Amino acid sequence: ESENPAFRKIDSGHSIDINITKVRGRLSDLDRKASIIHPITLLPPSQGGGCSLNRCLWRAAIESEPGRGAETEASTGMSDQKTPEGVPPDRELYTIPSRSSWFQWDEIHEIERAELGDFFDVTSFSRNPRVYKEYRDFIINRYREDPSRRLTFTEVRRSLIGDVGALRRVFLFLDRWGLINFSAAEPSRAHAAGSDDGVFRVVVEDSPPSSVRILPFPHAGRGLLSPTGSKGAEEGGSFKLPPLTSYSDVFGSPTPLAGRLCGDCGEVCVSGFYESKSAIAICTNCFKKENYCVGNSADDFKYNDKKCLDDGKHVTGEWTGTETLSLLEAIVSKGPDWDLISNHVRRNKLECIAKLIQLPFGEHMLGSVTGKCDQRNLVGQRAEEIQQPTSDVIKEFVKPEMQDHENATEEDHTAEESKTEPALKRRCISLSDTSNSLMEKVASLSALAGPHVAAAAAEAAISALYNEHPYAKKVFMIDTNETNDTYFSFAPQNKSASDLKTGDGETEEAFGIAECTTGKNFGHLSFQIRAATGTTFGATAAHAKLLANQEDRHIDYLMASIINAQLRKIQCKMKHFEVLESIMEQQYTQIQQLKEDILQQWVDISQRALAAGIPRWKDPSFHKPLPSVKEAKSEQPFRVLSSSASLSSCGEKDLRKSREEAQ
Amino acid sequence: MTLSGSSVNRPTSENLVPIRLDIEVDGQRFKDAFTWNPSDPDSEVISFAKRTVKDLKLPPIFVTHIAQSIQSQLAEFRSLEGQEMYSTEKIMILKLDLRVNNTIIRDQFLWDLSNFNSDPEEFARTFCTDLDISDPEVGPAIAVSIREQLYEMAIQNVASAREIRMVKKGRRGLEHLSSSKGGNNSLDLAKSFGSKASVLRKRKEWHLYGPIVDTLTNEEVDAVEAKEDRNLL
Repeated sequence: ESENPAFRKIDSGHSIDINITKVRGRLSDLDRKASIIHPITLLPPSQGGGCSLNRCLWRAAIESEPGRGAETEASTGMSDQKTPEGVPPDRELYTIPSRSSWFQWDEIHEIERAELGDFFDVTSFSRNPRVYKEYRDFIINRYREDPSRRLTFTEVRRSLIGDVGALRRVFLFLDRWGLINFSAAEPSRAHAAGSDDGVFRVVVEDSPPSSVRILPFPHAGRGLLSPTGSKGAEEGGSFKLPPLTSYSDVFGSPTPLAGRLCGDCGEVCVSGFYESKSAIAICTNCFKKENYCVGNSADDFKYNDKKCLDDGKHVTGEWTGTETLSLLEAIVSKGPDWDLISNHVRRNKLECIAKLIQLPFGEHMLGSVTGKCDQRNLVGQRAEEIQQPTSDVIKEFVKPEMQDHENATEEDHTAEESKTEPALKRRCISLSDTSNSLMEKVASLSALAGPHVAAAAAEAAISALYNEHPYAKKVFMIDTNETNDTYFSFAPQNKSASDLKTGDGETEEAFGIAECTTGKNFGHLSFQIRAATGTTFGATAAHAKLLANQEDRHIDYLMASIINAQLRKIQCKMKHFEVLESIMEQQYTQIQQLKEDILQQWVDISQRALAAGIPRWKDPSFHKPLPSVKEAKSEQPFRVLSSSASLSSCGEKDLRKSREEAQ
Repeated sequence: MTLSGSSVNRPTSENLVPIRLDIEVDGQRFKDAFTWNPSDPDSEVISFAKRTVKDLKLPPIFVTHIAQSIQSQLAEFRSLEGQEMYSTEKIMILKLDLRVNNTIIRDQFLWDLSNFNSDPEEFARTFCTDLDISDPEVGPAIAVSIREQLYEMAIQNVASAREIRMVKKGRRGLEHLSSSKGGNNSLDLAKSFGSKASVLRKRKEWHLYGPIVDTLTNEEVDAVEAKEDRNLL
């Protein structure tokens, strides 16, 4: 029992609290030997094997046989700390997956032979089973020194002699079977990503939170609901708004009016149109030119030969295509003078204006919208021309119309309030899909930035408008009558909206655009629109500021972490130097000690030699002073040494001889 | 076993040629190192050279220089094809001592030249992952360095094999055999893997065979580069 040195380690009266890590590396040997020598002591401590030695052995046995893990932690693969009875709580369990329960310290299993075949054939000198077992045991033990940290291949390959390719295969084998790195932390995502991409680790940059939203090409959006709900549209120039109405609303699909607008070129379809299954109409010209809307082919279009109705004047009712055409022409040519236009078109002034608004590009006509207007989905050439009149002009000619809206016939009028979150939910009251419009952008932007921000932005925008134009006051007169809350919490029902409306004779805080019916005051509208866009600016500005702050903080954080890393590096280096220094000092003292010892030996030997009276040493030709000797001791030894000739110059043989003789 | 492109007989799991470029024209210096697949058509060389010059905005004269350099190195490699490769095991010590941008790597490890499944790129990848190296240029540099050393040893081996053949023809003694085989880098297999030896390296030698990675600041990099230039001039 006492012959086994490893055994002695445990047996030498150490308590259980010895650091078994140091012994662990040898435990496989220990285990085997222990079982040979003490076959009966390997009882669980509760069954009578209560001595400390036995407990250590038991623990060692458990630790070295993880596959046999008595408490089945290993087989369930969970690193639970259910300790068996009687085992002191500070012992550790190593968990391996149950699929690896074949593993035994003492043996090499078939699976290992199969997967790492070249260790087990005789072709190679450096790869044989013994070598394999040593590699394997070393790697596993090394991992178990600290199971929570992930053992890397680089760490083990420097401690093992052998081809790194072969070592790597053993390492990967053990890793795959969970015999190492099973309880270790997962590699960081960066590593995982790096290993996937090979040597070139792709650094993924966070995409900007408010990304540009690209709408499908405008023409393709005709007659279809354009995609809704952008998270945040970049302010200004990147999105294209879909048309604010669809023709079906303007022209009414059940009664296919003449004068459909082509879905492609925006022209009025004067000579019949082609209708596709998805209710997109394009004029014959476009059809000929094959300007189908995106996604359709020639086959999708059915020719619909509804020519324009005649040019007879209609006093009321629907507008024919010709009339619309002439209206547009008039607007372009005669400018914003509604009298002239109405003469040209032979319709009531108000009707002209109303009609204009209804048209998909009516917004452009009013030209009151800010820059957004420009990027809007333009309806061909005409729209661009129509955009000419500026908001100022419109305001001018609208002013004289102020009286008119008193007489405006108010129809059912959808209140399209959409500036705050509640509005978002009740997005689509209107018959049309105006929800896909500016208002919804505002809605989503304000949702992004928070209601208070949006409210503040709206207020700011409106007060700016106040200052700009006195008429705006009228438009937003309602402001003074209501609190801020009601200003922004919109009555959900159309009815209540119209109630308020009829109360004033003024339109309410309504931002509905396309469905504004006859009599709607579009100057009113212009202000509202401006307010709306001002709000969006504010909201996006707030959001941008938030992002900027976030970026700043992120930068600061990164700087701090860089500085930390540098500091740590320097500290490590310093520590390293300190260690070196201490080692140096140790060695220095050792050397000093050695010097003293040697000196002492010299003294002794020469003394003895002298006492024995060996004449040879008195050879004067060997007389060489020892420089170190001069510094030490008293005079007596000096003389002895110098007279007995320096030991260093004697051969070693002499020295040995003298020692023998002295003894 | 030959150096041909077949999957069985390649010296490493992928047959790649390490190429090193160092071209100086009119005071402008272009240094690079990478691996090239010799089975790529030669037209690739020209397009690669053109693309490199374009990306780095070098003067167009570099295109021809680069292409020539690559092609001559490839030709040299191809001339070795068909030679006999390692039939017995040969474990050599490979050393890494390179500087990539701001990172310095020093390392040594053992490599079995007869192991035709070895993969320098995988080794480089593991190296970078284990040591948490963020610079993506380090990995390829390591792989190129390994391949260059393997290539050198292959050349030596071929040369010595030729010599052996001549020796056999000349029927001279076997002393030549032992002296020409392997330089001082190869491991004495009997000593290291014999029945008495342990393959566990002595602890005091661990630091020799482990990697040393250090990061330089920009000033240090400049200083080192200046010293290198001075040495070369």
